Amino acid sequence: MATSSTTTSSVYIRVIEDVISKVREEFVSGPGENVLTELQGLWEVKMMQAGVVFGIDRSASKQPTPGITPVHDLNVPYEGTEEYETPTAEILFPPTPLQTPIQTPLPGSTPLPGSTPLPGSTPLPGNTPLPGTADSSMYNIPTGSSDYPTPGSDSGGNTDVKGGNGRPSPYMPPPPSPWMNQRPPLSVDVNVAYVEGREEADRGTSHQPLTQDFFTMSSGKRKRDDFPPQYQNGGLNNIPQQDGAGDATSEVSQKSDFPGMKIPQLDGPIPDPYDDVLSTPNIYNYQGVVSEDYNVVNTPAPNDLQASTPAVVQNDVLEDDEDEPLNENDDDDLDDMEQGDELNTQHLVLAQFDKVTRTKSRWKCALKDGIMRINNKDVLFNKATGEFDF
Amino acid sequence: MATFELYRRSTIGMCLTDTLDEMVQNGTLTPDIAIQVLVQFDKSMTEALDTQVKSKVSIKGHLHTYRFCDNVWTFILQDASFKSEECQETVGQVKIVACDSKLLSQ
Repeated sequence: MATSSTTTSSVYIRVIEDVISKVREEFVSGPGENVLTELQGLWEVKMMQAGVVFGIDRSASKQPTPGITPVHDLNVPYEGTEEYETPTAEILFPPTPLQTPIQTPLPGSTPLPGSTPLPGSTPLPGNTPLPGTADSSMYNIPTGSSDYPTPGSDSGGNTDVKGGNGRPSPYMPPPPSPWMNQRPPLSVDVNVAYVEGREEADRGTSHQPLTQDFFTMSSGKRKRDDFPPQYQNGGLNNIPQQDGAGDATSEVSQKSDFPGMKIPQLDGPIPDPYDDVLSTPNIYNYQGVVSEDYNVVNTPAPNDLQASTPAVVQNDVLEDDEDEPLNENDDDDLDDMEQGDELNTQHLVLAQFDKVTRTKSRWKCALKDGIMRINNKDVLFNKATGEFDF
Repeated sequence: MATFELYRRSTIGMCLTDTLDEMVQNGTLTPDIAIQVLVQFDKSMTEALDTQVKSKVSIKGHLHTYRFCDNVWTFILQDASFKSEECQETVGQVKIVACDSKLLSQ
């Protein structure tokens, strides 16, 4: 092994030098020789990182003419690569932040239209914003809703919550100005407390914590039950009516009850849509989003081990987005054997063929001038013979 | 001289391609000159394999898939073993891509 890898390394180094020397003229007349030096340095660094070239050999033996200079060249490119890598890493990490923005947009965009319309006009717009805020912003909705009754206006609560969360700092600015004014103190305090708890809990599980908080007030069964209690909390005076709606649980009854009361009317439309929308689509969406992310991460691992596991994951992913997992899995099915412990390792032989023959199910081939990538090692060959059973 | 772009998929070729991509995106290099470098790599790599490498390898395994398209043979082997003077390796699955050597001599 040592021999082969060493020779591979030396051949690679000679190829690099050959390429660099033969394109030098182009660079001198073009971007300049410094750029060529940078190119060589980057290339060599990548080769060393890939473990197929040993820098020591190169600097020591290969370039007597430039002498020390080559060493400098190597170092310089190194920094260059790091610069490139660093951004990449940052980009990779951002996924978390990215998620936040995506989620936030929902609350931010929806709440604005929803909140305004809520009191007066249609329940539908109101519904969307509420669920959106709740799920995305960490289920602040409940808090916001409870707040609503007290001051009288719904919108303030939602926005405050969002702003209070502190999560979406970017989003904070737009909503706060209009909404914040209406009820700053109450909503902020409540939100902060809730936010902290929820963040820890995470979005997926957050529902439960909320429920618990409200449980004290209400019997604490389902989301529907929770919401009505919240409204109760806000408007204690109205308790009986709201209770009735909450107890009744039926959407129709709630609607009818609310219209009857002055204050409740505003609240009334909101809860109904909430229940419907929240329970079904929103939860799925959010779960879907969360699960997607995890799936994406998880997918590679399961693929290696089992085909079945990925399949389950696929269903979730399929609805939401990406087809990539599917393709990967398909390949896995075909390739079965390949998925061992090494995902990154793709065994590959690149060569030229002199002759390929077949006798019944027995194949023979004569290859030459090949590069093999086997078990993370590069092996070069001048000639190769293959005997395969089909 | 005809060349194959085949070897660009090797480790050394991918490293070069990545480097050129970065430098082109930086604006350090123009795409034209990057392509010239790749073409030179095709020549240099082919020549190096022809003149500097002497080792021989034997490959055995179960042929899972074979394909011959556009003068390129593609084999997917399962439970393949590679033997040469220095090393012996076994892999669960390997892909072999081979271009027609006669095309180079033309």
